[in-house]
Amino acid sequence: MNRQLTITTQPIDEAALLAKRKLSGGMGAVVYFLGVVRGEEEGRTITAIEYEAFQKMVEHQFHLIFDVMEKRWPIESVRLVHRIGLVRVNEPSLWVEVVTPHRGEAFAACQWLIDEMKRVVPIWKKPVA
Amino acid sequence: MRVTVCFHSYFKDLAGCAETTETLAEGVTLGRLHEKLAERFPKVGAMKNSTLLAVGVDYQPRDYVLKDGDEVSLFPPVQGG
Repeated sequence: MNRQLTITTQPIDEAALLAKRKLSGGMGAVVYFLGVVRGEEEGRTITAIEYEAFQKMVEHQFHLIFDVMEKRWPIESVRLVHRIGLVRVNEPSLWVEVVTPHRGEAFAACQWLIDEMKRVVPIWKKPVA
Repeated sequence: MRVTVCFHSYFKDLAGCAETTETLAEGVTLGRLHEKLAERFPKVGAMKNSTLLAVGVDYQPRDYVLKDGDEVSLFPPVQGG
């Protein structure tokens, strides 16, 4: 399974990510997800979210998640970009892509990856008014 | 033995510092260290039930026996995405 993990303070460049997609002939499903900062957090209007990461543990925990994904689903490729630092409303903070032979496993793996990230990957957010 | 303790996210504010060191007897567990830290940093102690504990880059159970030079991290529930 190809894996690409990027933790960055730079804006997520969707067009560049899509341009670098690689698929072998047996792949029939590409699921990708974009997480975007909402303009409201716990009922209050905000302008941005400041993301903080415990970087070395973030990378390790993502790779543990990828290890499990590789065993559970026939994934050819997973790519994930998580932005840290200040991310303004309507800007993406997360981009995930999973490539598999069929759609069922691609949706399931992508959903599971995001659920696991929200459970174990040490990233925190602080709303900015 | 000595271990380094790191606070992340708003636990830094609750503790009033990002990092500290603790001198411990051999055989002390992560859970016992957490109890000591809760006494020393009461605002962090108040979050005890929701605190996540890691040693290095891995989560560890409370009965994990600490080793000299371990880097222990305390932080609140994670919120990525």
